[in-house]
Amino acid sequence: MKIIVCLKQVPETNNVKIDPVTHNLQRNGISGVINSFDVNAIEAALELKDRYGAEVVALTMGPPDYEKTLRLAMAMGANEGVLLSSRGFAGADTLATATVLAAAVNKIGGADLILFGRQAVDADTGQVGPLVAEKLDLPQYTYVSKLNLSSDGQIDAVRMLDGGTVRVNGDLPAVATVRSELNEPRYATPRNIKLSFKKDIVVYDEKDLDLDDSEIGQAGSPTIVTKVYTPTATPKVTETLEGSAKEAAQNLLTKLSEKSIL
Amino acid sequence: MFDNTFTPEQQMLHQMVKDFTAKEVAPFDMAIDQKGDFTDGLFQKLIDNGFLGLTLPEEYGGAAFDPIATATTINDLAYGNASVGVTLEGHYKTLDQLMKYGNENIQKEYLDSANHRIFAFSNTEPSGGSNPTGISSTAVKEGNKWIINGDKVMITNGGLAEVYIILVKSGENEFSCFLIDKDMPGFSFGKREDFIGLRGTPVGEVVMNNIEVSEDHLIGKRGQGLEIADQAHDDARILMGAVLTGIMEHALKIASDYAKQRKALDTPLTDLQVIQEKIANIAISKELTKLVYQQAAIRKQNGQPYMEEAAMAKTFGSRSAVKAGDDALQVLAGYGYSREYPIEHLIRDARALEIAEGTVEKMRTAIAKAEFEK
Ligand SMILES: Cc1cc2nc3c(=O)[nH]c(=O)nc-3n(C[C@@H](O)[C@H](O)[C@H](O)COP(=O)(O)OP(=O)(O)OC[C@H]3O[C@@H](n4cnc5c(N)ncnc54)[C@H](O)[C@@H]3O)c2cc1C
Ligand SMILES: Cc1cc2nc3c(=O)[nH]c(=O)nc-3n(C[C@H](O)[C@H](O)[C@H](O)COP(=O)(O)OP(=O)(O)OC[C@H]3O[C@@H](n4cnc5c(N)ncnc54)[C@H](O)[C@@H]3O)c2cc1C
Repeated sequence: MKIIVCLKQVPETNNVKIDPVTHNLQRNGISGVINSFDVNAIEAALELKDRYGAEVVALTMGPPDYEKTLRLAMAMGANEGVLLSSRGFAGADTLATATVLAAAVNKIGGADLILFGRQAVDADTGQVGPLVAEKLDLPQYTYVSKLNLSSDGQIDAVRMLDGGTVRVNGDLPAVATVRSELNEPRYATPRNIKLSFKKDIVVYDEKDLDLDDSEIGQAGSPTIVTKVYTPTATPKVTETLEGSAKEAAQNLLTKLSEKSIL
Repeated sequence: MFDNTFTPEQQMLHQMVKDFTAKEVAPFDMAIDQKGDFTDGLFQKLIDNGFLGLTLPEEYGGAAFDPIATATTINDLAYGNASVGVTLEGHYKTLDQLMKYGNENIQKEYLDSANHRIFAFSNTEPSGGSNPTGISSTAVKEGNKWIINGDKVMITNGGLAEVYIILVKSGENEFSCFLIDKDMPGFSFGKREDFIGLRGTPVGEVVMNNIEVSEDHLIGKRGQGLEIADQAHDDARILMGAVLTGIMEHALKIASDYAKQRKALDTPLTDLQVIQEKIANIAISKELTKLVYQQAAIRKQNGQPYMEEAAMAKTFGSRSAVKAGDDALQVLAGYGYSREYPIEHLIRDARALEIAEGTVEKMRTAIAKAEFEK
């Protein structure tokens, strides 16, 4: 069994600044840490490693400094780290990021399960996992709060959504994005920290991945951020229907058909 | 600050230990003091997460981390609870001596288990700790065996530790160190001290009644005992500086958080100069103690002498930490004086380190002597 975990490094601070001109996140001068949900993804992979002896590959796209995120994954127990790094990848939006990650998954030889955090805490889109699933034409399980794989190649997951949970199962290979409710991540141990720095990290650029310049980086990114703002909440109105049960039911039917719900 | 010069490995370890402390140690700080012992499961978590093997060579399953990383780890853990720092201090300083002075056979036999068994070092006897030449425990050579007898008290981790390096008289005016373990016939534990602080760390007695060991158990050469005991003190004092820094960081955090939300009528405590002075003094002492223990650790790593710096870290740090606790208590005033807040136990914890690993009087003498020799 092989599991690839996709990791993102995010700015350490909670108050990320937005460039007033480009509306991009300003990452300069702020030290990076691993996206917190991605630590749950690593833990999920390592639990499967403990159970089935799965091989766990940590994968990230970013500047050379992202190496430390891969080392952390290896210090927790991942077998190897792959860094996708090149000037050409800079300025990638979620689509261009997913293009590169999907190509890397193929380059590595695919996997039974590809794990993501539910979203990155800096940009919060939660799009990269689903986009990679689409690129690879694999089934996707998002917002996973419980995860089981069986040795005969089945995935059984519980997705935790607003107001309820959904249990889904199906065949591997698959993509899953995980929530923090899924597990309690282990610590990197001092010994594994030391050993992780002795391992080589594989680095691929667009040539290694056979990607065209038009698909990657700024050129491969259709997203245009015009404005960043906190949406104002529109208060919901609760209406109580008076009268007897019959009257109320009649009233309700009328209202629902007025709103074209029925 | 030296923190900025950490290697990526040291930085990752630092982050891991801070996370571990926040989740596994700090929440139990008060409970540890009240129970007078480590809370259930904590010690096992230290073992499971590889803390006992922090300094061990890689071939023995350790992480082979350096003196700076080791001291930083103790500092970070002690911020959560000083006893956790002191228990590991006792272990690391003992392993240092086994790694430096032990012969190959004894290292092979014992270093393998140091990942999950606690080690301790013992000179003090009922007759006194400051003047080791006054001890009366003995090792007598019979054929190719040594027979050890005596009584050792106030051993950090005594009762918890399974392996001990002990200082004994091996002849007229001759002192040597031996390694013994708790499963040897003739080994027994005595009483545990009812100390006022560091209440999580067991400090206890070991009684040796005709313990028989092979020549391999002699640590270093015959007659090298006092040198090894001094070396153990030097190594320990760096780590004690780290414990004291952790205690001061803890006192500072509590006092500063409290001052930020408390008002004297309409004036926030943070606007009062008398409060500012206390906060500033705690911060200054904390930072200076840290700089000195880091300096000692860097010298140790570089193979330079570090006796003086290590003694300075503990001497300056211990009184400063008692004073920091006292200042923090005053910021919280009535609440500071209450057992509901941790400050009173921080003072009790810090006070131990004016005594353990050499009294401050003895250390000042040692520092002065070193200065006169310059
Ligand atoms: C204010 C703002 C401005 C932006 N401006 C622009 C812009 O001008 N131009 C532009 O092109 N884009 C822009 N973006 C989006 C872009 O920078 C994304 O942050 C980035 O592509 C990843 O998307 P995400 O952070 O939403 O990740 P998500 O899709 O939320 O990440 C989910 C998961 O995907 C995985 N993942 C994400 N990134 C990687 C990676 N690099 N390597 C491995 N795994 C990964 C991780 O497992 C992560 O947990 C902007 C975003 C914001 C919030
Ligand atoms: C928390 C804790 C942990 C400890 N852990 C260990 C341990 O792991 N291993 C171990 O062996 N011991 C340990 N000890 C014992 C400790 O090392 C001794 O308490 C210490 O060395 C002092 O010895 P003493 O208590 O017998 O005091 P004494 O030696 O009797 O000293 C009494 C007073 O006289 C002063 N004094 C004595 N001799 C001199 C001198 N030559 N010059 C100047 N002043 C002097 C001392 O400074 C002190 O003020 C621990 C003690 C504590 C409190």
